[in-house]
Amino acid sequence: MKEFLIDTAITKDFFAYLGDFGQVEALPNVGEGFYKFEKPDWFSIKGFAGDTTIEVRFKKEVMDLTVDFLYLLFASYHEGMIDLSMLKQREHAVGERVRKRLHGM
Amino acid sequence: MVPNKPIIYLNNAATTWPKPPEVQEAVRQSLSLPVFGSGRTTGSQGEDYITMARDALSHLLTADPPEHVVFTHNATDSLNILIQGFLTEKEKCHVLTTALDHNSVLRPLHEYEQQNRISLTILPFTQCSVHHSVVEDAIRSDTRLMVMTHGSNVLGSVQDIQSIGDILHDNGIYFIIDGAQTAGHIPINLKKLPVDAFVFTGHKALFGIPGTGGFYLRDPEAIAPVRFGGTGTDSFLLLHPREMPERFEAGTHNYPGLAALAAGVKFIEEKGIASIAKKAEKQTSYLIRELKKEANITVYNEHPDLPIVAFNIRGLQNDDLGFMLARAYGIIARAGLHCAPLVHKAIDGGQGCVRLSLSWFTTDEECRIAANAVREIARNADSSVGQA
Repeated sequence: MKEFLIDTAITKDFFAYLGDFGQVEALPNVGEGFYKFEKPDWFSIKGFAGDTTIEVRFKKEVMDLTVDFLYLLFASYHEGMIDLSMLKQREHAVGERVRKRLHGM
Repeated sequence: MVPNKPIIYLNNAATTWPKPPEVQEAVRQSLSLPVFGSGRTTGSQGEDYITMARDALSHLLTADPPEHVVFTHNATDSLNILIQGFLTEKEKCHVLTTALDHNSVLRPLHEYEQQNRISLTILPFTQCSVHHSVVEDAIRSDTRLMVMTHGSNVLGSVQDIQSIGDILHDNGIYFIIDGAQTAGHIPINLKKLPVDAFVFTGHKALFGIPGTGGFYLRDPEAIAPVRFGGTGTDSFLLLHPREMPERFEAGTHNYPGLAALAAGVKFIEEKGIASIAKKAEKQTSYLIRELKKEANITVYNEHPDLPIVAFNIRGLQNDDLGFMLARAYGIIARAGLHCAPLVHKAIDGGQGCVRLSLSWFTTDEECRIAANAVREIARNADSSVGQA
């Protein structure tokens, strides 16, 4: 588990953006709004809207493969330059390697 | 963490916080002078923290003589010394433990089982307790040892040591009790309880600091020492002294830790263990009553003997719930398996749960805030999960 301190507070929109790459759950009425992103076999991210820290839990067997994609997701959102097709391509490439390592296919 | 919100610490079954001011002062004092340990220094300007702590524990637990109270690093260390010491002089034998036990008991026993030094039977529990008849039924002709928890660190249930111990002793079986969760919470009289060894830890309800613990051993000859070294006494002896407590204590003691432990036990004696237990019972009952008002909250033991409330909210993962309590409400709980995997296999399918655990310093207001927070999350849980 790693905690990341980020430059700007988390928003609902950030998790909506993550929704393109996995499943997002929310309890918007708890605190300022609890959000959780789950990408099975890769990592999960959780945090509260308005907070500047998020908690990331990696699947440790493939963390070396997935951590760069996490940074890419953060950076793309932070810089406001979301190239969805590029991200999807990258996700697909990393996903192949993750599947091969975890499931041998 | 929520900025500007005070911490509400409800993880006292792991480590108590805060510590009494007297404990903090004792640590400061112990560090303000050089150590004056008997046999290890000249001069006598300092306090004899080791004897103070030994006498304090002996009195609190009615454990006679005080020299049979041995200090170690923690409860896990004590259990390892006792289990290993017991097995040193024995042929392969049968050992009993329970599904209520912590990994501090289960893992050493599994290690010895894997080394083919013991065969192990893990007894199930029903309604949070291991019934003495289950123990009786599991005894075999080669059963030599039982190691079990006094109080479950998940369910808060205190076990019927008296009945179980009577059966074990009738059958000549050695009985080690893990009192990590009970020492400091409930009255314990080791003069009366039919146990051979009782393990305690300093950093939980005894209000000491981490790195202290120990055990009481009724018959020191029953087990072999497994650590050898300097004791500050009989230094010409080639072998480690066999007198108590040196028999099991090699090397320099944790002086600040034992100063804290002595002060913690003194604090408990001054408050009165009955008062401590009564306050804990009232607050624990309140929390459980409040949590049960929400239909989607499952409380796993509605009548715990210790100030421990284990629960889940339907539809939420326990670590998410723990995260929400910490971040949105400043409430520090413990989520997961609590190092007691077999308890969780039995009560929640091995998924784990959230545990709130109280101490003397927990206030009624903190309980009220915690109950409201859990209920608020529960009310939001059913309708909200799955919606981004």
